Amino acid sequence: MIAWSKDDERLKEGISLWFGKFDEDRPRYGREPAFPREPWLAVMESGILRLPFDEKWGGLGQSLLTTMYVLEELGRCCRNTGLNFGITTHMVSTGVALQRFGSTALKDAHLPQVCAGTAVGTHAVTEPDSGSDALGMRTTATADGDCYRLSGAKAFVGNGPVADLVVVYARTEPAAGPLGVTAFLVARDTPGLTFGDPVEGTGLKSAPLCSLFLDDCRVPRTHILGRVGAGLLVLDHVRTWEILCCFIVGTGEIRRRLDRCVAYAGERSAFGRSVGGFQAVAKRIVDMKIGLEMSRKWLYDTAEKFTAGRKVTADLATAKLVADRIAATLGLGRAA
Amino acid sequence: MSRIDAIKRHLVEEYELGTAPAELADDYDLLRNGVIDSLALLTLVSWLENEYALDIDAADVVPDNFRTAASIDAFVAAAVTTAKVG
Ligand SMILES: Cc1cc2nc3c(=O)[nH]c(=O)nc-3n(C[C@H](O)[C@H](O)[C@H](O)COP(=O)(O)OP(=O)(O)OC[C@H]3O[C@@H](n4cnc5c(N)ncnc54)[C@H](O)[C@@H]3O)c2cc1C
Repeated sequence: MIAWSKDDERLKEGISLWFGKFDEDRPRYGREPAFPREPWLAVMESGILRLPFDEKWGGLGQSLLTTMYVLEELGRCCRNTGLNFGITTHMVSTGVALQRFGSTALKDAHLPQVCAGTAVGTHAVTEPDSGSDALGMRTTATADGDCYRLSGAKAFVGNGPVADLVVVYARTEPAAGPLGVTAFLVARDTPGLTFGDPVEGTGLKSAPLCSLFLDDCRVPRTHILGRVGAGLLVLDHVRTWEILCCFIVGTGEIRRRLDRCVAYAGERSAFGRSVGGFQAVAKRIVDMKIGLEMSRKWLYDTAEKFTAGRKVTADLATAKLVADRIAATLGLGRAA
Repeated sequence: MSRIDAIKRHLVEEYELGTAPAELADDYDLLRNGVIDSLALLTLVSWLENEYALDIDAADVVPDNFRTAASIDAFVAAAVTTAKVG
């Protein structure tokens, strides 16, 4: 496992001082399908959104691994899971895509606000008729002088109800298969772009989603991320970050539950001893610990390999399935 | 074997084109004919990186560089030169 530096630890401790504030008013956000605006102000102040971005644009210049290390602690400490989801969606969908694929001018114009959190970001890939089959998307982008005209409908846009910036994926060449999709950075107030009503996600009330409609929406060519036709590669890069960051938050959440189980097993007595002393209980706790460490190992190892520039398609799929199955099994109260 | 022939052989074998490498035209449209799907694109990029010791920038993975065996060959030729200079 990775040996974290003193700087990593200090950074984690510094930012984690804010996590209590992120968590404020949680019962309210567990009831209403609303984006947690007030906690988001604490998120902005904490600097967590700045982690993986270059200092030139207001970032903290940290690696993917250090970013994950802090995000794991976020999951452990902040029980507002919708807010945590909003944080990772914002960072990876817009910040990571822009930093890796945006032109310098586009980064100058938007990355500082993404780092600060004053502009909330998201991405629009999924459509009513295409989810897993992302390349089946039908939203089109047609060249028109120095602009592209985007038309179509998107679904399940995370952070959508409050997003200021949306990375929209659209078809620029219908017959070019995986090289026929392009990523565009689109500002909320662009004429022709409208947002549907907030829809609440199961178990993620404070991370409302929405639909998005593009009706001949003109987007300047300068807002293309990467090149025309390179959208799948942009998406591949973003999805890699998304899985690693989002799922490491999940392992932090498992860690919190494990700690609570251990504490309770020590506190609660039956037949004159703490229940943790019974093998049937201890075994479940050990299984939780093994599941947690397996998830962490797959996620951090994959992040190291990705950072080293190696191909991680299979590792990432494995890491995702391992972490997902363990979280689901433990969440349902069964041994992993 | 020339580089374009090696590329054709890889395309034919890997993506089961059901034709002999020599019969695959230089300008056969791999995108329009659905040879390269999303997974195939990613495996092709990594095959080219390993085979020709390249570090392909995602920004260069665009239709004009991958449309035909000839365009892949031209793209690799340019990338190999840049890699040597750089
Ligand atoms: C909380 C949340 C936030 C989201 N945020 C965003 C966002 O910000 N932007 C965005 O664009 N989208 C977002 N999405 C949408 C998400 O990307 C899609 O839900 C996902 O791609 C799956 O698509 P689908 O829901 O249409 O399911 P489908 O693709 O229709 O799948 C339906 C079922 O079929 C199965 N299936 C599909 N293909 C296969 C296959 N090849 N083999 C075996 N089984 C298969 C699936 O596992 C599933 O059980 C979000 C979704 C959720 C839940």
